[in-house]
Amino acid sequence: MAYTPQYGPGSSVVAENRRKQMNPSISLQKMRDVTDEDIVLILGHRAPGQAYPTAHPPLAEQGEPDCPIRKIVTPTPGAAAGDRVRYIQFADSMFNAPCQPYQRTYTEAYRFRGIDPGTLSGRQIVECRERDLEKYSQELINTNLFDPALTGIRGATVHGHSLRLAEDGMMFDMLQRCKLEGGVVNYVKNQIGEPLDKKVNVGKPQDAAWLKANTTMFHSLVGTSYRSDEEYVEYIKRIHSLRTKYGFMPVE
Amino acid sequence: MAKIERAQKLFLKALKEKFAGDVSDVKTEFYNFNDLQQSPRKKEFIEASKKVEKDRGMSMYDPYRCHLGGLPMGQRQLMTYEVSTTGTFVEGDDLHFVNNPAMQQFWDDIRRTIIVSMDLAHNTLQKRLGKEITPETINEYLHILNHAMPGAAVVQEHMVETHPSVVDDCYVKVFTGDSDLADQLEKQFVIDVNKLFPAKQAAELNAAVGKSLWQAIHIPTIVSRTCDGGTTSRWSAMQIGMSFITAYRMCAGEAAVADLSFAAKHAGVIQMASHLPARRARGPNEPGGIQFGHFADMIQTDRTHPNDPAKASLEVVGAGTMLFDQIWLGSYMSGGVGFTQYATAAYTDNILDEYTYYGMDYIKDKYGVDWQNPSPKDKVKPTQEVVNDIAGEVTLNAMEQYEQFPTLMEDHFGGSQRAGVIAAASGLSTAIATGNSNAGLNGWYLSMLMHKEGWSRLGFFGYDLQDQCGSTNSLSVRPDEGCIGEFRGPNYPNYAMNVGHQGEYAAIVGSAHYSRGDGCSLSPLIKITFADPALPFDFSEPRREFAKGATRQFVAKGERTLLMPAK
Repeated sequence: MAYTPQYGPGSSVVAENRRKQMNPSISLQKMRDVTDEDIVLILGHRAPGQAYPTAHPPLAEQGEPDCPIRKIVTPTPGAAAGDRVRYIQFADSMFNAPCQPYQRTYTEAYRFRGIDPGTLSGRQIVECRERDLEKYSQELINTNLFDPALTGIRGATVHGHSLRLAEDGMMFDMLQRCKLEGGVVNYVKNQIGEPLDKKVNVGKPQDAAWLKANTTMFHSLVGTSYRSDEEYVEYIKRIHSLRTKYGFMPVE
Repeated sequence: MAKIERAQKLFLKALKEKFAGDVSDVKTEFYNFNDLQQSPRKKEFIEASKKVEKDRGMSMYDPYRCHLGGLPMGQRQLMTYEVSTTGTFVEGDDLHFVNNPAMQQFWDDIRRTIIVSMDLAHNTLQKRLGKEITPETINEYLHILNHAMPGAAVVQEHMVETHPSVVDDCYVKVFTGDSDLADQLEKQFVIDVNKLFPAKQAAELNAAVGKSLWQAIHIPTIVSRTCDGGTTSRWSAMQIGMSFITAYRMCAGEAAVADLSFAAKHAGVIQMASHLPARRARGPNEPGGIQFGHFADMIQTDRTHPNDPAKASLEVVGAGTMLFDQIWLGSYMSGGVGFTQYATAAYTDNILDEYTYYGMDYIKDKYGVDWQNPSPKDKVKPTQEVVNDIAGEVTLNAMEQYEQFPTLMEDHFGGSQRAGVIAAASGLSTAIATGNSNAGLNGWYLSMLMHKEGWSRLGFFGYDLQDQCGSTNSLSVRPDEGCIGEFRGPNYPNYAMNVGHQGEYAAIVGSAHYSRGDGCSLSPLIKITFADPALPFDFSEPRREFAKGATRQFVAKGERTLLMPAK
């Protein structure tokens, strides 16, 4: 019998949003159209138009060893070309940002190949080959995983995910890499905080209703109460109980 | 599981002091706080650094140039913190152990302590040498030992000695469960169990110690700071040996001295911490070897506040996060200076206190646990369902408090801070309800899993590794895998990695016993030793002592200014 992923428990809208984001058979919703060049600017790893720096020769040129695994796994374009491994890192506000750290990691693991995600409380990083990264970043920024005001693209000094919002609705960023100007959010610095020669418009922040309907985090003040999703809470307790009992007496 | 009503919000006073405006607001202002200039302490640092730079001719603290290429901290409000329950507000910098002499003394007082049996030596003297041991000879020996232990000579001619004023914190007292013997010893040398402990605890401790006689020894702070924890037993053993020779007129080279030395260095010695594996490169009496049960015994709040096991446990959390997070993992093991920010969350602004007392209300309301009258009789059987119920409810309540008060979330701005605090309240509540430390630890891990799933985040990259796999080992007690919480410690395999756990684990262990009204958590000897009011640090009120250190009111020992030219 083929395994059918369930993408997590729960009867709430938060649980449903989590499943939709993770499930690769459901297309992410296109929300904005930040260009390839603008994404390269925000990432800050290379100049637009610059050739991809390499860490090794293209696989086709360097002579691969006779390895059964390599015959099974098709290299990603970045790996085949020998690109460097670079990153994009996000800070997600706890006030209903559409994606959240572990949710990002799970979603990326289901949807992308050749990635190395790292999950913290205030930020989530994903590393991969550079041209793959730029492709994945398109999906991470231009879809419903992203909100211009509540999702920050931050390589360092990420402080802000748990802070109150600024009066204009923006998540705190010590470096103020992006600003709300004329109703849209413009990045004026790249993710590591270096000033950009031109502003990058990432669009208009979503309104509160959309955020509440699309977030993947429980929040009893501005969103959906965790306690109200009884199925979810019971599921966690069941997992914990089973692990505990197996640790005490490892029998089936 | 159902939420209960609780009117108190112990953190509200601190939040209102820290944050302007309505503490329930979701929005605020940033970028207009005049950066570091909002902080008196940071301004003090800048001025102090100017003086240092002038004196030594080299640059030093220069945040306007060095922080983020010229962007200093303080783009948001730099918060003050109330050291929980003290009413004392301090800056975060004041809680770094380098800036806080009380924190240093706390650790000094543990590291420089050793407990040594007198029974083995007395057996040698009586049975092997035919010497008579009486209360009078013991008193004389203790006079000599309190002369010798700080570093004075007792046998030889033409010896160098230490200056009494720089070793004035060094002394030896004794204790026994034999009240008749205790009554015959000079009061200045006796830790009086009956006087210091509530009657029930004293009875348990006296019964456990019995007729044995033990020395509670504190070598000079300045010695253990210059050397290490491994020095403590050696320094004490040398002075013990010389004092026995003098007191009982022994030959300095006779073979029986070897028996006394072996007893004082090995056979009769209780270290505060066991030595660690070679890869940790630490000897005995260093923080990583302190068993959680022993640490819970060092803290004395269950003695001074026997009817409030929650407070007793919270004091262990404060002391434990300071020692294990700030000093052990932060400096000994990692070398970082940022660990203070994690640790202080557990003992500032009454936040963990509020979550824990919610748990107390819950276990009283739902299970009828009269937690203010500690007893083993009303403890709840620690089934998985009970653990899940208590820890689950306390976790949900704590998460909701963070959500309902956005300034509370901003106060604990890091996920590891929140995770440690929420799980600690869950574990403490479970342990106090059941009187079972492993049930408390198990509650901790349920809390972590619930927290992670609710907010889709937990701690930092490595922080939560142990929490995501911890359910499985919390009840694993086979000898080759683990042991009950009392015998676990900072170097227990799954606990040896990350900040924000070990102090809380020690408190969970202790809370199980405090809730039963036990005389001690693991060692009656350690419990009695740290009850001594003569210790420079008051182990019954660690948080109050830390606050005194932060406000520069604490007088530490081991100072050497006496010996240096006045400036």
